[in-house]
Amino acid sequence: MKDYVATILQNEKIAENVYAITFETEEPVPVRAGQFGDIAVGGTHLLRRPIAICKAEENRITFCYQVKGEGTQKLQAMRVGEKTNVLMPLGNGFYVEDGEKKVALVGGGVGVFPLISVLRAYKATKEISAYIGYRNKAAVCGVEEFAKATNFVAVTDDGSYGEKKNAVQAFEAALQAGYRPDVVLACGPTPMLRALKTVTDREGLNCFVSLEERMGCGIGACLVCVCDKTNGKKARVCKDGPVFNANEVQL
Amino acid sequence: MANLSVRLCGVTLKNPVIAASGTFGFGREFHELYDIGTLGGVSTKGLTLEERLGNPVPRIAESRGVILNAVGLQNPGVEHFIRNDLEWLKSTGTAVIANVAGKTLDDYETICSKLDGLVDMIELNISCPNVKSGGMAFGIQPQSVEQVTARAKKGLKKTPLIVKLSPNVESIATNAKAAENGGADCISLINTLTGMAIDIERRKPIIANNTGGVSGAGVKPVAVRMTYEASQAVKIPVIGMGGITCAEDAIEFLMAGATAVQVGTANFSDPYAMPKIIDGLNAWCDRHNIKNVSELTGTLELHQR
Repeated sequence: MKDYVATILQNEKIAENVYAITFETEEPVPVRAGQFGDIAVGGTHLLRRPIAICKAEENRITFCYQVKGEGTQKLQAMRVGEKTNVLMPLGNGFYVEDGEKKVALVGGGVGVFPLISVLRAYKATKEISAYIGYRNKAAVCGVEEFAKATNFVAVTDDGSYGEKKNAVQAFEAALQAGYRPDVVLACGPTPMLRALKTVTDREGLNCFVSLEERMGCGIGACLVCVCDKTNGKKARVCKDGPVFNANEVQL
Repeated sequence: MANLSVRLCGVTLKNPVIAASGTFGFGREFHELYDIGTLGGVSTKGLTLEERLGNPVPRIAESRGVILNAVGLQNPGVEHFIRNDLEWLKSTGTAVIANVAGKTLDDYETICSKLDGLVDMIELNISCPNVKSGGMAFGIQPQSVEQVTARAKKGLKKTPLIVKLSPNVESIATNAKAAENGGADCISLINTLTGMAIDIERRKPIIANNTGGVSGAGVKPVAVRMTYEASQAVKIPVIGMGGITCAEDAIEFLMAGATAVQVGTANFSDPYAMPKIIDGLNAWCDRHNIKNVSELTGTLELHQR
């Protein structure tokens, strides 16, 4: 973890309200799939924006973000050549064991981006199947990346792209057709993760989820972004997570 | 190179810059970024006798120039801190200030006696706005400020006591005096201002606790004014805080009457905020030909009206 001075190389729209920003840092950033960065947007915004790293190629780091509030609007308004500070890499990230050959990715909404980092990290050594849900056709993004998976199923809530289903239903359909992954990695809205956990519990599948929470420091000191563990304790999403075994946390 | 060291109730700090409670944990995470032994001190996450799990999430919100938080004193309990974190934190070389809170007067005395002689200073949190039993009840009325200070002091034979004052009061000068009368060796201020931020799409407060403590750059003028008023009211030293982001901000507090300062929210905007403030203090002193940073304390000259 380091606070990198990062220069914007690209900041472009990739879907409705979703942008990809690529920074160049002075030195390579050692990133594990599923980790995130805390991006300073400056001005009257005292908190940085914690955003998943989508792609890390040496000293070129790409984040994808949805414009939601003033902070992400400011990020969207940043121009190529501008510099800002990015504290990264943060969090634990996804880790796939050697013995886990068949990896299922289940993602929805902006939760698809950390999964792209998993795909990039493991596509050479694993058989990866991605079940990705979008709101509608205008929200579809990352398709060229997911197309590199062994299997890729894209669905939309309204059926305007792929079948009219959500990501969990698409994953369930594959299970019914005989697919059985060694591990399931997921990121997306909490209701989606909850629905997925019901399925992975029923099927006895190992499942890891990447969580989101409003953050303060981003490094585990302030105890703002906690989640409830099933053992009654709290865990810090930024430091102990964002990736947790689905059985360890209350969704 | 100016001499940045300051004396605070018998304790020498390397410099007047202390990490504010609740923004810095027990220092371990920031130590991954820089040597926290270079700081004047670290005020720990608020400790209670028993472990506390804190408030539901979301615990934080933003408003222009400030943040609001309602963590609710999540902490592993004082015994856990003593067993697992204290020795490490001391070994970094920074001054260790244990921030403590309780539900009852007894709690305050007990927790102080458990830490007496083990830490450099104890900071009494009688002003946490985010828990029903976080001491806020003790921090409002001057009579109860004096009473809780006196009880905490009963638990202490060796370690100096700082009382952290709430700004959500009628008169900061009166409460500062009350702490002094209760036997405080030092006061620190301000804790957060109680506030609210609303998600207008959902017509609900952003923070699950509904209200939260407001901190960050935007509160600084209020904090400077209160630091001035409090330091005028008492003879004991004052630690100023509230929105300090850079060395110049820290100097305002020193001039207003503070001997040392605490930095909290700025650590979130820039994790290196405190080392930068220390460097900036040194540079400012050199530029102004000031040999000892302690010379700045209380040098404010008011306009004659």
